[in-house]
Amino acid sequence: MSYCVNCGVELSADLSACPLCNTPVNNPNLNSDEEKPSVFPEHKGQVDVVKHRDLAVFLSIVLGSTAITCALLNLLIFQSSLWSLPIIGICVLLWVLAIPAIIYTKLTLYWSLFFDGIVVAAYLFMLTWLTTSDTWFLSIALPLVILITLLLEIILFLLLHFSISFLTTSLYLVIDIAILCIGIELLVDANAKRPLSLSWSAIVLTVCTIITVALVTVLSRSRLRNEVRRRLHF
Amino acid sequence: MNKNNKSQITEKNDWYKLDLSAIVYPTLQRKDFSSVYRLSVLLKEMIQPEILQQAVDITMKRFPTYKVSMRKGLFWRYFEPNHRPGPFVMEDIQNPCMPMPFKSNNRYLVRIYYYQNRISLEAHHSLGDGSGGMCVLQTLCAVYLRLLGHKIGNGYFVLDVDDAPDPEEFEDAYMKYANALVRPPRPGETAYRIRGTKEPFYTLNIINGIMSVKEVYEVAGRYHATITEYLNSVLLYALLQKQNNEFHLKLRPVKLAMPVNLRRFFPSKTLRNFISMIYPSIDPRLGVYTFEEIITHVNHYMRFFINEKFLRGDITTNAATQRNPLIRVVPLFVKDFVVKSFYSRIQDHNSSAGLTNMGALKVIDDMKPFIERFDIYMGQPFSSRTNCAIASFEDILTINFASSIVETEVERLFFRKLVQDGIHVKIESNRKSEQFL
Repeated sequence: MSYCVNCGVELSADLSACPLCNTPVNNPNLNSDEEKPSVFPEHKGQVDVVKHRDLAVFLSIVLGSTAITCALLNLLIFQSSLWSLPIIGICVLLWVLAIPAIIYTKLTLYWSLFFDGIVVAAYLFMLTWLTTSDTWFLSIALPLVILITLLLEIILFLLLHFSISFLTTSLYLVIDIAILCIGIELLVDANAKRPLSLSWSAIVLTVCTIITVALVTVLSRSRLRNEVRRRLHF
Repeated sequence: MNKNNKSQITEKNDWYKLDLSAIVYPTLQRKDFSSVYRLSVLLKEMIQPEILQQAVDITMKRFPTYKVSMRKGLFWRYFEPNHRPGPFVMEDIQNPCMPMPFKSNNRYLVRIYYYQNRISLEAHHSLGDGSGGMCVLQTLCAVYLRLLGHKIGNGYFVLDVDDAPDPEEFEDAYMKYANALVRPPRPGETAYRIRGTKEPFYTLNIINGIMSVKEVYEVAGRYHATITEYLNSVLLYALLQKQNNEFHLKLRPVKLAMPVNLRRFFPSKTLRNFISMIYPSIDPRLGVYTFEEIITHVNHYMRFFINEKFLRGDITTNAATQRNPLIRVVPLFVKDFVVKSFYSRIQDHNSSAGLTNMGALKVIDDMKPFIERFDIYMGQPFSSRTNCAIASFEDILTINFASSIVETEVERLFFRKLVQDGIHVKIESNRKSEQFL
């Protein structure tokens, strides 16, 4: 029978330290090598993974049948244009977006985002069949999809590997918005064959810079940070 | 028999409505949180899992409201009898009260574990409260002992497994007694909240304090208080000390969320939820409270609020939302969103810790020689804090802390106060020595 010298409580035989204050048990009358039966199990439980199989099958059937029916209609009856392409594309897009949520839940978020980017780019490329030129795709749409996917991957990395709070999330979003706006303006300039320069995005950049400086200041001062968190908590 | 019961029986128990309390629990469901509580009984001999499984199969038929799965309607959730295989007994785990996704475990909302000489029942709170769960556990225990060849009768929490379930056991007793003419307002001031380091996913830290009922009774008597009032005061005292030890710009009242078993005041056989919450509190902004002053305050508070009249008013306030026809026709997903945000922004901020006392558990004489003690766990707290549950059997009183934070300051201050008052406390824990601070 051992007691905690700090708390004065008796400790069950399997405890090597007091759970209340972490003071190690040091009882010379007890053999420390002796294995004591644990009051609580050692094995840690895991929650069952819920498989949304029914929903996944239902979704796949609905989207697949929609795509196939539209394709057949387009091929056999309404043959005037390739109107079924955007619909088939949307079906594929929705199916790929649903994969991490309900079909293959083991897929990491990085890969999910990567595949989402690819499928969005593929969908936009598909739309070029319906337009007279594909220059808009190569000069604006594709770089924009790559930029947005990249920025989302970066935000995801930051959220998963650094502390998440209202303030840090806001900081990441503000920086990303600034980069995205600059990217959009430069791409539009490049597409219009104008010299690359910043106009409206410079205003966004200025505002974002001010917000970023304010957020970094708040984050670096613990008292200020706690005060803001206290007042803005929700 | 009231209208609700009639409708449930005529439906041949094809489905059950959720009771007034049960409506809230599924809306709070998150990937890392379910409102799951655990009741354990420690026997004097090792558990035989095969016999226990047979006992579970026999017992669950007697409790149709515990052999159900959760379903979603357009406006409300409901329970459907679950005819899937199970529930199956499992070897116990280190982290009890794990989240309980509604579609896992063959859609059962109960889990039964065994470990050495302990049988544990974990149930989703939407099925019923601790008293209902205790009926299931004690009946299960009685059936198990009968299968081992012991002669065990029925009585108190042990129901006759050969009897058909009484319709009153399914009733939503809240709606039966929600008939006060006024709806008392709720105090809604934000309470002191424990700040601690959140444990990783699925971790539930447990610290059990085991002591003698006689010793606690004598100490409580010295302060002219009951055991519940005394232990309530000790927890408030510990929380006040913790707040004082921390850096704070503003002091907050320290409040406990304490469920009251309404069966004590309103006759009901229901095995579903029939509890109401009271919030004993101390406001340190009024001055420094001595322990004796805290006990006096808690003593007066409990005598003032725990009576049939106040509790009837409280039930009526709760029932008003469910009775409102405009609220009833709102789709479930909107209700979920509103209830969840109300709970996380207001209700959860309304208390500093949870404390429940099931009191002295009555057990039929036939079973007493086989039982060592009972343990009760309130389960995973919704936000990072600690919950405390108390129960006693014969001369053994157990105080079970369940916490989702690394720090143990509240538990330390609580048990040290008991030791200072001369109570001998034995501690058990699932915490690893390097884990806590």
